[in-house]
Amino acid sequence: MRHLLWMVIFAGLTAVVFGVVAKGTDRHRLIYGLKVLGEFLVVAFILGWILYFLPFR
Amino acid sequence: MAKQIEREKASTPGKAWGIGVAAWAVPGLGHLLQKKWGRGLLLGGAVWLMFVLGLVLGGHLFRISGTDQGLSALLQLLPMSANFGAGLPYIFCWLTNTGFAENAQRVTYEYGNTFLLVAGLLNYLAMLDAFDIAAGRKQ
Repeated sequence: MRHLLWMVIFAGLTAVVFGVVAKGTDRHRLIYGLKVLGEFLVVAFILGWILYFLPFR
Repeated sequence: MAKQIEREKASTPGKAWGIGVAAWAVPGLGHLLQKKWGRGLLLGGAVWLMFVLGLVLGGHLFRISGTDQGLSALLQLLPMSANFGAGLPYIFCWLTNTGFAENAQRVTYEYGNTFLLVAGLLNYLAMLDAFDIAAGRKQ
């Protein structure tokens, strides 16, 4: 649970910066920031499940 | 192309360079100096929070020390340049020798490292944004 929390905090803070420095209207930047946040979370979940099944140990 | 670059160089006001340096030194300051309060607080808040959380999580900052030789010293250069992007917070830590110890035994060590590295990189983005606004290239 702690890992998920830190991952969400990381994605949120990064998305804030990406959204603020993006070009366009406030609405466009908000949507872009939310999209970046969503992409971070989805990619992290997918990679997490892929790594779960790989026999690294 | 060369003419265009020359024109852009000539049209960049000196103030923009100062704003760029201020934005690098103190995350968020570049925007606050230009009265972009919302942007400054969001960018500065995100970068500061990320940097402090990185230290709290036990991450470690990179630097080139005298003990590193050859390729090992070069390997430190890339993450150090990322950390250096945080500006004065990094320099303060360097002067006070804070955050340079490795706490690899902590569960959150890698998270801390990532937070510290990305805080610096995001501040480079914020710095470029502040510079562009000051130079009139962005609204």
